[in-house]
Amino acid sequence: MLTIELIILYTLASGVLAFLVGRIHKGLGSVITILGSLFAFSAVTYLGYTDQLAFTSDLLPFITYQGTNLGLFFAILVSFVFLMVSFFNPFFVTKYKYPAVYSMLYLLSLSGVLGVFFTDNLLYLFFFFEFVVWTSLFLIPMGRSRKAASMYYGFSAAGSFALLFGIFVIYKDLGSFGISGIEDLVGTSKTIVFMLFGVAAFAKLGAFPLHIWLPKVLTDAPDPITALFSAGLEKLGAFVAVLGIVKLGSVGFNIPSINLAFGQSMIAGLGALTIVFGTLMAIRQDDAKKLLAYSSMSNGGYILVALSTLTTQGVAGGLFHIVAHALASSAAFLAIAAVAHRTGTTKIKELGGLIHKMPITYLVYLIAIISMAGIPPMGGFISKWMIFQSVMNKGMILVAVATVFGSIGSFLYVFRPLAALFLGQELPQFKKTVKEAPFFMLVPMIILSLLNVYTGVFPTFILGFINKVLDELNIARMVLTTFTIQGWNAQSILDPALISLAFAVGVGVAFIIFISLKKSKKVSLMDTYTAGNFIYTEELLHYSVDFYAPLERLYEKYINIMKDFYKSLANKVVEFGRVMKYFFFTNKPEITVFWIVVVVVFLLWGDVL
Amino acid sequence: MSAIYLIAVPLLAAFISILVKKVSPYLLLLVSAASVVAMYFVDLETIVIGGFTAPYGISLVVDRFSQAGLFAVNVLFFLVVALNINNYKKMSSILLVALAGLNGLLLTGDLFNLFVFLEVSGIAAYLITTTNKKPLATFNYLVAGTVGSSLYLLGLILLYAMFGTLNMADMSQSIADSGVSAAVVSLPFLLMFIGFGVEAKLLPFNSWVKGILGHSNSLSGPMIASVYATAMGLVFGRLLSEVFVFDDKVTLIIAVVVVLSVVAGEAMAYASTKVREILLFSSIAQAALVVLLFVNGFVGWAIMLAIANGVTKFLLFSVINKATEVVGSDEISSLKGLFVNNKIIGVSFTAASLSIIGLPLFVGFIIKMKMLESLFTSTLVLPFGNYFYPAVILLSSIVEGVYFIKLLVSLWYDKENAPVVHYDVLLKYVGVVIALGLIVYGVFQGNVVDFADSLGAIILQGGVF
Repeated sequence: MLTIELIILYTLASGVLAFLVGRIHKGLGSVITILGSLFAFSAVTYLGYTDQLAFTSDLLPFITYQGTNLGLFFAILVSFVFLMVSFFNPFFVTKYKYPAVYSMLYLLSLSGVLGVFFTDNLLYLFFFFEFVVWTSLFLIPMGRSRKAASMYYGFSAAGSFALLFGIFVIYKDLGSFGISGIEDLVGTSKTIVFMLFGVAAFAKLGAFPLHIWLPKVLTDAPDPITALFSAGLEKLGAFVAVLGIVKLGSVGFNIPSINLAFGQSMIAGLGALTIVFGTLMAIRQDDAKKLLAYSSMSNGGYILVALSTLTTQGVAGGLFHIVAHALASSAAFLAIAAVAHRTGTTKIKELGGLIHKMPITYLVYLIAIISMAGIPPMGGFISKWMIFQSVMNKGMILVAVATVFGSIGSFLYVFRPLAALFLGQELPQFKKTVKEAPFFMLVPMIILSLLNVYTGVFPTFILGFINKVLDELNIARMVLTTFTIQGWNAQSILDPALISLAFAVGVGVAFIIFISLKKSKKVSLMDTYTAGNFIYTEELLHYSVDFYAPLERLYEKYINIMKDFYKSLANKVVEFGRVMKYFFFTNKPEITVFWIVVVVVFLLWGDVL
Repeated sequence: MSAIYLIAVPLLAAFISILVKKVSPYLLLLVSAASVVAMYFVDLETIVIGGFTAPYGISLVVDRFSQAGLFAVNVLFFLVVALNINNYKKMSSILLVALAGLNGLLLTGDLFNLFVFLEVSGIAAYLITTTNKKPLATFNYLVAGTVGSSLYLLGLILLYAMFGTLNMADMSQSIADSGVSAAVVSLPFLLMFIGFGVEAKLLPFNSWVKGILGHSNSLSGPMIASVYATAMGLVFGRLLSEVFVFDDKVTLIIAVVVVLSVVAGEAMAYASTKVREILLFSSIAQAALVVLLFVNGFVGWAIMLAIANGVTKFLLFSVINKATEVVGSDEISSLKGLFVNNKIIGVSFTAASLSIIGLPLFVGFIIKMKMLESLFTSTLVLPFGNYFYPAVILLSSIVEGVYFIKLLVSLWYDKENAPVVHYDVLLKYVGVVIALGLIVYGVFQGNVVDFADSLGAIILQGGVF
């Protein structure tokens, strides 16, 4: 029988195989990444879901595993994202400097991810966590810039080491590294662990104030890896958040007006800030990847807000949002990657009119952003509805305002790449060269789009699984029927299938009107005039550049505060290092003697010889 | 086989090599290789020299501690020599003296004899660093080293006056039996601590390091940063864990010195743009961690850390110093893309760096975890409580990781015309072996843990020679 240990080791071995094959033929190595992640995903999903997965460890007995629904939930999701993204690898690896290494690291980090979700030992949780960090780390510099890697490491290490410190505090208190026992913590240790796990979750999710790396990495990483980070690896942070915020339980005194512990409300507040900052920053971006990166950040905020409420709807909504965002953002980033593959750029002002040549990619992106903006009938609507329910009913007014602001803000920004990249005039330089994305790139995009719709129309299947996770977290189950979800009370019933039906009828009516009316006539770009003159050049007249300039002007002075903070923090370390060098490393031995005398004098101070 | 040959044979060979200059390089290679082989035949015993039993005579101690140290130092010494012998034939005699001195340091069970070997190996080190062609830096090293060993001697004289013995085991027994308080012996021990602190690169006493390692070549770099550092760290550790008794005030001083060395070491490495400086400042931090573990009684893991650091720094310095000799500069910007044409060297360099940072799958990870676990769960009274040292170590690790990753990314990427450096086949081979070793022991950690525990257990039984 297949054990989780074997799945992890096979995935690891397939990484090495991908490297060896990749040395012989660049493309073939990346095909191994598809097969390897297909194996990992199908094995974990099939065996895990049918309860056939064994969790014994025979080959490396010191690493022990356990099967939890929480771990299975995350493992299925993230390995699915790895599988979907892997279809893009063969089209991209040849452009990168070390294609064989790329394929290897891709699969190695997948094996690390599985380890994180299935180990029962906090120390090995950290082991796999760090393993994922360094394997994914070296994927980043193959993209646009070299700086992003060390930045990612810095924030990631801050998070990991906070996690490690927390783990040792738990160990000192409880005498065991078991994950299942962490809810037994009490008193100061509990508060410390809560804060440290919080730092780890924030750093990994890219939440305010540890968010600086996220847009940088997501913009500069290779295009498939961007999708992987946003939809897959970031979710490790969500996993830690579930452990630290939900499993650990309430921390601090209870705030009666919202009936929530102080610790959790702090997380909710920071989550709300993350939503607002992510949204405001996304609005001003000119690069589609960077724009979606900030949207990823703001979605991380939703997850934190949702989990911190500790209510059924909140936690279930947070978990569902993890799924919905993973599906939507991987679809969106892959669509952008497809555009980049065909055109070589992701800058909004350099693109336009791609719908004529890439209609399927357009549709994929459209569905993805509808989900991101939380509009029915997509998965993102369901999770946002649940999150609103729980936040409003808790009476968390300011947080509720932030979540609504984020939703409305996302209308403002997600449609900009849509309009700029796909709609509008078709640029002359792309008229001949650009084609629809290759078939194997379309496959994962279409699958993801179908799932985006599926999660929006029939969310009860996934929510049923989430109910099992809620049992493990000691939170009451969601009340579900075949088609409906119950909200805060028996009156608030959501019927996504009904909504989708209404939506479909609306679309159908519109479609009938569309075909029954006179067909629109295609005109050439220069078949128009403006300001009383005819147009003679096909230059770009974009709506999407500086589209929200008046809004941006309101806050453009303040956008660099956090960035500058970290920059000056790094400078302070450099300054400290230089001062130390200046004081202690001169070419004068008498300085050394001076310090020796100082130390001896300190010892003898106040003593009688 | 008696371990005394490990000292006597290199010394004898050194004399012979002066007489017959032509064969001296071969003699050096032969003797250093023979020392490595001889390690397998050395018995665990206490050797009495000249028939005078301890505490009256000088004794050499071969226990698990010195065995582990001797093995690491001799292997590293042989590798450094084998890689450089062609270019530094003139140094053969001096290197033989160095080998004798280092082996003596690790073997001796006598505090005054230790001073003698400290001077012998020190003089050899000063002469080795003359190949840097930076006389002023060497002179500084000479002055600092002499001041250090004089302080050690001064402390030792005070102790001798108080307890009338020079044997390590006898000394610690006498101190325990006499019932004097730790405060009474705090001055001699502080002097000895400072004296060794100079060689062990602890912060306020280590101004020589930058001049020496910052301009080191492919011989002096690995020799001082790896071979000497391992030997000095381990000998210092033996004193710290077996002989020294600290009162509160000295403990506080040591805590401050160690923490300062770790924090400032990482910060200085972060602030540097020259690769050799980055490596040497990182060495300072690592050396301080070794001292920290020894002082607090985690002997097994301290030895592991010292050896792991010796092995990895050997590789890093060998690779970088060779490249520096070819390129003519060790600025990161001029070494960009070094590994594009040297992938095997690059992979082993990367593995060694990742092990130093303490990332999983490499030995460094296990050592770091065990180090933190020991500090967290220690029942001893640590300065500022159980959480302080781990917090310092983890915070400085972030800085350490960032500059190493920056360095690695620069060396792997960028620049159209990457520097062309041809590495010896031997170094490539050794690099691969080291990288594989780091990974194998990093995965099958049972061996490492057992080994470290057994080392720790032997020491804690108390020096019965």
